[in-house]
Amino acid sequence: MRLSDIMGQLDLATYPIIALVIFLAVFAGVCVRVFGKRYAAEIDRAATLPLEESTRPEGGAQ
Amino acid sequence: MSSQTIQSNATSKAGHAAEGPMERFIYDDATVRKFVAATVLWGVVAMLVGLLVALQLVLPPLVNFTTESGSKPFAFLSILTGFEFLTFGRLRPLHTNAAIFAFAGNAIFAAIYYSTQRLCKARMWSDMLSKLHFWGWQLIIVCAALTLPLGITTSKEYAELEWPIDLMIAVVWLGFFGTNFFMTLKNRRERHMYVALWFYIATIVTVTVLHVFNSLAIPVSLTKSYSVYAGVQDAMMQWWYGHNAVAFFLTTPFLGLMYYFLPKAADRPVYSYRLSIIHFWSLVFIYIWAGPHHLHYTALPSWASTLGMLFSVMLWMPSWGGMINGLLTLRGAWNKVTADPILKFFVVGITFYGMSTFEGPMLSVKTVNALSHYTDWTIAHVHAGALGWNGFMIFGMLYWLAPRLYQTQLWSKKLMATHFWLSTVGIVLYVLSIYAAGLTQGLMWRAFDAVGQLQYPDFVETVTTLIPMYWVRVVGGTLYLTGMILCAFNLIKTWQTRPATYEEPVHQAPALAKTYQDAAQPASRLEANVEFGHKGDVWMQGWWHRRWERLPLKFSIWVIIAVATASLMELVPTFMIKSNVPTIASVQPYTPLELAGRDIYISEGCYNCHSQMVRPLWAETLRYGEYSKPGEFVYDHPFQWGSRRIGPDLAREGGKQSHDWHVRHLENPQQLIPQSIMPGYSHLLKGDTDYAGIGARVRVMAMLGVPYGNMVNEGEAEKAARDQAASLAADLEKQGGYANLKDKKVIALVAYLQRLGTDIKKAVPEAAPAAKSAAK
Repeated sequence: MRLSDIMGQLDLATYPIIALVIFLAVFAGVCVRVFGKRYAAEIDRAATLPLEESTRPEGGAQ
Repeated sequence: MSSQTIQSNATSKAGHAAEGPMERFIYDDATVRKFVAATVLWGVVAMLVGLLVALQLVLPPLVNFTTESGSKPFAFLSILTGFEFLTFGRLRPLHTNAAIFAFAGNAIFAAIYYSTQRLCKARMWSDMLSKLHFWGWQLIIVCAALTLPLGITTSKEYAELEWPIDLMIAVVWLGFFGTNFFMTLKNRRERHMYVALWFYIATIVTVTVLHVFNSLAIPVSLTKSYSVYAGVQDAMMQWWYGHNAVAFFLTTPFLGLMYYFLPKAADRPVYSYRLSIIHFWSLVFIYIWAGPHHLHYTALPSWASTLGMLFSVMLWMPSWGGMINGLLTLRGAWNKVTADPILKFFVVGITFYGMSTFEGPMLSVKTVNALSHYTDWTIAHVHAGALGWNGFMIFGMLYWLAPRLYQTQLWSKKLMATHFWLSTVGIVLYVLSIYAAGLTQGLMWRAFDAVGQLQYPDFVETVTTLIPMYWVRVVGGTLYLTGMILCAFNLIKTWQTRPATYEEPVHQAPALAKTYQDAAQPASRLEANVEFGHKGDVWMQGWWHRRWERLPLKFSIWVIIAVATASLMELVPTFMIKSNVPTIASVQPYTPLELAGRDIYISEGCYNCHSQMVRPLWAETLRYGEYSKPGEFVYDHPFQWGSRRIGPDLAREGGKQSHDWHVRHLENPQQLIPQSIMPGYSHLLKGDTDYAGIGARVRVMAMLGVPYGNMVNEGEAEKAARDQAASLAADLEKQGGYANLKDKKVIALVAYLQRLGTDIKKAVPEAAPAAKSAAK
């Protein structure tokens, strides 16, 4: 009996389905969280990070 | 309600806790300048090589053109097509490697070094590592440029470089680049990691995993190794790697580039930061599964094929998330695009990204793939993405960076605009002509006449039809190359107007507080409810994820988990489940001489034009013979299924032609098939087979599980090879072929070709090998 024989006889088909369900749940959760009101202020600041010239250069900007 | 407001204020205040001491720092732009120069140089080289390989497909009819008087006025062009070190099979991988790792690679590093420092408000952690990274990477490129034309190759696409260079890549990528990048993140002065940084993290982490696992091989010598995987498993590993090389080398770092440089160039924030979060995680998780779409209708088990198809189709959405975010960043600012060629490059680039990531999922559908696989449609798809998305994002970035890096004005805005228009037209000509070529060839292969026979039984007919379209591609590619040269010229002239010494502005920013007061866990917003309900509501408010975005290590680990889980779920069953590769008792290892011949096939890059995989499609089995079974490839380290048919499939080639035919065909294909565009390999009739090295090769194969039995003993393999070669050479002479070829490489190659696909018709050997059988 080799490992590949044993693996071939296991009923592995359910695991990918479980994985898919988990993935969908996480995806839905992230969507709900991200579009929630709580997060708005942080998002707005984060979105403009590249445009911040805010390293307070001593002389001359970037 | 008011208590909630107070709480949220308190949250944001607590979130920006006491800052550390003010620190002063200077950005390292010298390294960025180096990477920019390398990008431009290798861009020209990669495109020149591309033009050369494109010409190699159209010149043969010209080279062979004979006037009425019998002269061949264009014969001198054969230096481009038939020179041993520059044949298409050896040169094409040089083009792909140069375009991906040299051109796009250096551009990625320029983007990452420039943007990471500014997003982190910190200089790169180690100047020494930056230097080692830069010079190490260029050294790798030079090694590639030397080894590939010499025929030193693994034949695994986008991973052709042999094992010593693979080790160098691992050291440079992780030891120099990765370390430098992650330490910079650790010492950053901006707590929140902007989305571009996530894409860079995903790139570094995933490319490491892909490179390490796909490159696993046992060396035979300094210049040769055998993949630890064989046949179906090797194919699966290769395309898990290959597609994710596209994902994590040509997509994620470029999305990171887009998320930084487009807002800078347009002076607007990204359209939807929320969308970037969602599409980032979806992209990273889903992309990994897409690899099997390169293997539809092959001997890969169909569950893997279906899985790859489904995930590839799902991948459309996260990819378009990126496109939407990019294009809509310009809403309200479209007038800027008309005036600014940099924005034109970005907009057209992102549009090509959208087109390619729609086309990709479509090509991943099995029925579409049945038509497109092995045709030029794949090539057109690649080049729309590479020239359109990668190329144009690079150009936009280079033109935006140049005035800032060289602290001067761009030498010519007009030339920049000319570059844009020339290259756009170039892409269109390239892509449209090659779409036409792909569809034409695919349809011709499966065309039947009224009697139910193949309409085009001669393969070469399906090639000659394409030549005019290949000429249009040459024009398109030349335009694109011209644009690249204009870019190089413009940037050099710009560089020449730089100041005598660069200003190095000193920046200030407070260090991050050592201890960070995370926002207090919010209270449940629900009124009366069960305890579980309260906990769920608190969780839904997501304060815990906000912490992640400030924790690069945790973030990286979750990226690794997402990528690894996806990889393992798809790859493990391929290896573990025996029924995926049913054993065929009559399949035996290659003889030592055939193994030597196979290595010549690999070295010359024959797989670049010839596939070895007959699909279970009616037109295919009629043309080539019995469809390929997974059990036939169990000793193929590495697999040679190929991905393109510029020449016919060879999976069942064994026994179809005489030895003499093969020798003459290899010497000069046009003497047997006048319209063939295959280069000649006369050097194989002159070079000697490396008999001394055969023993080592057989021993490594035996180490990998191929049941060679006594052959591993000293001198056995060499003797067997010499005996078989002498016998084959004798038969060749009897057939009227050349004499005195028994020690020449061509005999080994012919031995291999004559073996291909013949095992399934053989009787099962009486003493079944007691050693390990087929499937691992």
